Amino acid sequence: MLSRNAQGLYWIGRYLERAEHGCRLLADQLKALEDRPVEDIDRTWRRLYAGLDRKPIGGSLESNLDDEGFMLADSYTLADDLTFEPNNPDAIRNCIAAARENARQIRNVIGKDMWYCLNLAYLELRNTEIEDIWNDRPGEFYLRTEDTIRTFSGIADGIMYRDNGWHFLQLGRFVERAQLLATLVDAHIATFPTGEPHIESDWCSLLQICEARVAYSHQYSLEYQPINVVNFLVSDPLLSHSIRYALSQISCALDAISVHRPAVDAGRLGGRMSAHIDYDWPNRDPDNDNATRNTLQIIRNSCLRLHENIEATYFDYEIEDSPRL
Amino acid sequence: MNKELPRSTLPAQSHNPMAEESFFSGYKIDSSYYDEMFKSSDEPHDHCRKLWEALDTMSHASITAMQERAERSFLQEGITFSVYEEEGAQERIIPIDLLPRILDAQTWDLIERGLRQRLKALNLFLADIYGPARILSDEILPTDLVYSRPQFRIQMRGVRVPHGTYVSLCGTDLVRTHDGFLVLEDNLRVPSGVSYMLANRRALKTSFRNLFRQHRVRSIENYGSLLRQTLTELAPPGILDPCIVLLTPGIYNSAFYEHMFLAREMGIELVQGKDLLVHNGFVYMRTTGGLQRVDVIYRRVDDDFLDPLAFRPDSQLGVPGLFYAYRLGNVVIANAPGTGVADDKSVYPYVPSMIRYYLNEEPLLGNVKTYLCREPDGLEYTLDNLEHLVVKMVGGSGGYGMLVGPHATPAERAAYAEEIRKNPANFVSQPTLNLSCAPCLTSRGAAPRHVDLRPFVLHGCETRLAPGAFCRVALTPGSLVVNSSQGGGGKDLWVLSP
Repeated sequence: MLSRNAQGLYWIGRYLERAEHGCRLLADQLKALEDRPVEDIDRTWRRLYAGLDRKPIGGSLESNLDDEGFMLADSYTLADDLTFEPNNPDAIRNCIAAARENARQIRNVIGKDMWYCLNLAYLELRNTEIEDIWNDRPGEFYLRTEDTIRTFSGIADGIMYRDNGWHFLQLGRFVERAQLLATLVDAHIATFPTGEPHIESDWCSLLQICEARVAYSHQYSLEYQPINVVNFLVSDPLLSHSIRYALSQISCALDAISVHRPAVDAGRLGGRMSAHIDYDWPNRDPDNDNATRNTLQIIRNSCLRLHENIEATYFDYEIEDSPRL
Repeated sequence: MNKELPRSTLPAQSHNPMAEESFFSGYKIDSSYYDEMFKSSDEPHDHCRKLWEALDTMSHASITAMQERAERSFLQEGITFSVYEEEGAQERIIPIDLLPRILDAQTWDLIERGLRQRLKALNLFLADIYGPARILSDEILPTDLVYSRPQFRIQMRGVRVPHGTYVSLCGTDLVRTHDGFLVLEDNLRVPSGVSYMLANRRALKTSFRNLFRQHRVRSIENYGSLLRQTLTELAPPGILDPCIVLLTPGIYNSAFYEHMFLAREMGIELVQGKDLLVHNGFVYMRTTGGLQRVDVIYRRVDDDFLDPLAFRPDSQLGVPGLFYAYRLGNVVIANAPGTGVADDKSVYPYVPSMIRYYLNEEPLLGNVKTYLCREPDGLEYTLDNLEHLVVKMVGGSGGYGMLVGPHATPAERAAYAEEIRKNPANFVSQPTLNLSCAPCLTSRGAAPRHVDLRPFVLHGCETRLAPGAFCRVALTPGSLVVNSSQGGGGKDLWVLSP
């Protein structure tokens, strides 16, 4: 497969996963705006930004917890920043535009319906602004956008030929997912360090963001204990939004791609990440979170290196690194 | 890009439709033009009778609704064409007119034979001027004319081209007058429009299912496989299953949709310059499995941008070293570089002489009378008769920079005359043609609009033609300019089975 096509699919996978993640976070946050106290909203915004590894405009959040109106106005600005801000490359609209731009370049190798789906989503979004969605149930906007992305994934799953193109799409999607999840879980642990009081509803909404609440309640109970929630989201092999699951999907994709050209270093990186979770987890120190957070940091760093490695091996290699000649 | 979604492109008319009128009741024939549908005001040509009867019983509203559906599907599919303007490129759909134009088998046969003959002569001409140049020493063409063309590529001297095929794909513009079909232009570089021919056909088949079946229209759907066959034949010797790619300048090119479409139809990779590299005299593309050798490049990049080492050094679109690999015979480029010299507007008047010279045959398709301003007589005639002539720049294309004398103001003509005097060799003029008209859908029913025809001829070892064409329409009443870049639209052409 042409490297640029594979690269396009890989990036479509990454951008759409990022956009979907953003939609889920914001849909959840907007629910909080309906009935939660101001301190909660302030805390959750801070964590949301930490979970995306992004600084709010101006460098930090300026809170005024005595003024509810201020907090809500701030929410408007923050949601705009994460959804429509032209200068934020990770804003939802920019992610979808970038995915569509990639799709446009490689339309000849993706299904027609995949293109229609992305193109229509883009045409609808390109003229939408925060004021268009804010007054009329903004949560629905995020749910709808999330739906479109899932429709795209569904079509891809239904019709794509399982060649390298498919595997690169999956690879992009799950590398992004593993990285986003590691950052998000870490941000939650940072808010409620071990030994300090925690707020159960925050952990519940974390599970909800990860589509894991029902599965969690079957596995554990209706008590949202931080240690259990973290354990579930990191190591459950069956949960589609767990780090362990994302890593196993990365390995599957790499194995399939390696048939044509071995990905020695990438395979090693993926294997090592999985081994960390399979054999070193849980390694929770009862007194502090260092070990847990360390593991999450390793996952994040390894994802970055994996990405660089994939770029260098498959997309942008030198003549002398090519296996055939 | 447009801020709003494009609307229906029906040409506006000032009256409201009157329900009781039949579809053709407002159709006025002007006897100075050949009408593609009617012999006289109420008598269609025999081969158009069935269509006429069917349309005349349909309601205007139902045809308009079909038209709108077709346009929506074009937008969804992204069948767009970029129009270059001062503020950058605008993405537009190519307006489609749903009423088909019909040619009977006999007429098509003449066109087909004429096009085959013409392409054969043009390929012989190119082989000659990049080789022994007999036609110049025999003084059929002025030597300085050929060598002064910017599209004459000295680099092509002595390059061996497979089967002598310089032009493997051309899109010839034909117009019809009362005197029959004439060739308006040979497009021998990177002609586009074939995807619109296929898209228009798909829309027509969906809209007029029964009518289409009744007409026994010849199929053009195998165009992709004809093109692939043609490109396969061009492969370097000894390569039976060549790796063929389509080289595109990228998504900002006006015809990107077509490049994507053709790559998909043919099942070949769509590559950009940066995907290819030259190593040890061979061309490779970067794949996820490593470098893969490329044997045939169907390029949609102009000569100038193909290879910065051979042509324009500032080109970012090309592949450094490509021309070197080509000279070695390790890769085939289709069309060959340097074919533009043969479709130059000042070489065009000599094509009938080429046919006689190389083939010893009389041309089956005529040329439009052309005055070369580089010659004193031609210049004088042009300047004296500007109000009757169409003046074109010799290197121009796409309808940019031309003057339609009868439609221009005296001031525009005077300004243009000044340009001509400054550099006469850069201009040619032709009488304003009475292009034929075909019925088009307007808000008031059918109305006549000027049309032309661009069939696509392929040549590898042998010549192949899909029995169809991109039929271009000037959507503005009375306008003679059909170019897509000037707001023209498209129609489907139905070639009937014998």
